[in-house]
Amino acid sequence: MMGKRLKPMMFNARRAYVELMFQVMGRALQAISEVDESTRSETIELPDGFLFEMRVMPHGPALIVEHTGTGRLLYHGDEPPRPVDLSIQFKHIAHAFLVLSFQEKTAVAFANDRMLVDGDISYAVRITRVLNRLESFILPKLVAQRAVKEYPANIKLPEKLVRAARIYLKVATNFVETARS
Amino acid sequence: MTNKYYEFFCPVKVIAGKSALEHMPYELTGLASERPMIVTDKGVRAAGLLDPVIAACKEGGLEIASIYDEVPPDSSTTVVREIARIYRAEKCDSIIAVGGGSAIDTGKAVNILVSEGGDDIAEYSGAGVLKRPLKPFFVVPTTAGTGSEVTSVAVITDEKKNVKLPFTSSFLLPNAAIIDPRMTLTLPPHITAATAMDALTHATEAFTCMAKNPLSDAYATAALKKISHSLLAVMANPKDSAGRLELAQASTMAGIAFSNSMVGLVHSLGHATGAICHLPHGMCMSIYLPYVLEFNLESIREPLGELLLYLEGPEVYSATPASHRAEGSIAAIRKLRDRLFELCELPRTLKETGKVLEGQLDSIAKLALDDGSIMFNPREVSLEDAKTVLQRAWG
Ligand SMILES: [Fe+2]
Repeated sequence: MMGKRLKPMMFNARRAYVELMFQVMGRALQAISEVDESTRSETIELPDGFLFEMRVMPHGPALIVEHTGTGRLLYHGDEPPRPVDLSIQFKHIAHAFLVLSFQEKTAVAFANDRMLVDGDISYAVRITRVLNRLESFILPKLVAQRAVKEYPANIKLPEKLVRAARIYLKVATNFVETARS
Repeated sequence: MTNKYYEFFCPVKVIAGKSALEHMPYELTGLASERPMIVTDKGVRAAGLLDPVIAACKEGGLEIASIYDEVPPDSSTTVVREIARIYRAEKCDSIIAVGGGSAIDTGKAVNILVSEGGDDIAEYSGAGVLKRPLKPFFVVPTTAGTGSEVTSVAVITDEKKNVKLPFTSSFLLPNAAIIDPRMTLTLPPHITAATAMDALTHATEAFTCMAKNPLSDAYATAALKKISHSLLAVMANPKDSAGRLELAQASTMAGIAFSNSMVGLVHSLGHATGAICHLPHGMCMSIYLPYVLEFNLESIREPLGELLLYLEGPEVYSATPASHRAEGSIAAIRKLRDRLFELCELPRTLKETGKVLEGQLDSIAKLALDDGSIMFNPREVSLEDAKTVLQRAWG
């Protein structure tokens, strides 16, 4: 009986978490492109006006970001102003949750066929490196080591964003524990 | 509880061994194919490798309806369109690709056009565009290395835009791969060596990169064992048909391994070097493999150490302390490269190729960072890291 009632709650909570984390990551991507030189060295190779999204199949949520030039990223919320150039799609909300709660590395999720790339793979490679770097900014070191391949030595990101992200992460951790027990 | 998840998929029927070609008429007829078209290149035809294929079909009551033997080393959208035109004009109903990577990729691309319609293969570029099975498609590999007969990928150059178009779909996989020792018996020594090193790299990267899984591991280790057993024997005696079959099977097995677990930095650097300096793929693999393993060492110590068993055999493995096995595996690969250099001058460094300029290393590094396979390398690779590895591989 409990199981039956818990399920829809779990679905809703998981979706809400992914939506929130997309928002946090969208803002964080914008911020990181402003303060972090090595992120810009990746993003500057994207064409100006390049629009990319991370999306959960089949109907969202989504995260839209634009490269506005000189390596700067702009967060567009969940509605693209025009068709996107690159789409990274999670096959299921559960997979998005795994990645966004840092239980699974982004690269591993690619390797595990949890996500699809629609567009130029070389741009997807760049964006994965930026996401790896972002994760290491947001996460406490111990968790980051699990989520990304390498933990960068020099990191500075607005404290507010880091705090927000870590709060959501805590939510996710509790959520994972509840769902498992 | 583990978070480990993986997918493993290989629906290709493998038809391998003595008189394997003679099974083709039965297999093709079983798929209602009556007018197969052969897609191949001039080299294959000149080496007389088409003769046993044609004879096997004819004797089995199946006429080859058409033969296209002008696939270039880097296949293009124009070539694919032309072959599709002939296929339709000759009312063919299936494709047999005979050759190496380029002929096989071309066969896959032609199969898209003749099954789905249209003249512009570029329309089908990307992942997951195809939604249904294509025409019957058989592959007869004539090199033992690429593993393309079991991968769901094809790359075709768009000449007008000068870009390489990738195609990814499980529907590109052939219905059957025919591994017949006759098809690789006449492969010249340096190509035998380079393509075997490509297969060895597929197995090694499959076993040490991020998407390794229990099933791909089994194929990778079995492939490595076959290559380390048979490569030098075949180099010493090119007519060793049993050894040739071992290498051909190893190549297919390594292909199954890496198409399910991906490859890493060796391939990223190799693809970039191929594009900039036009070196053969297998040669690039052989050059970069030990340097990349050294770069990745601390992230892959355990799996790399395990490979010593398959590279050097149980005696060496058990005599080597566990903490030294990873280094032992790298040493075994270096030793193999030294022997191949003595036997056929397969280069061990970029300098030894005589075709790479030191000034090109930076652009190779930059291009390698854009390669899809770098995503699955166990260590994050920065531009500086790539440059360092290239500098070591320079010589
Ligand atoms: Fe390869």
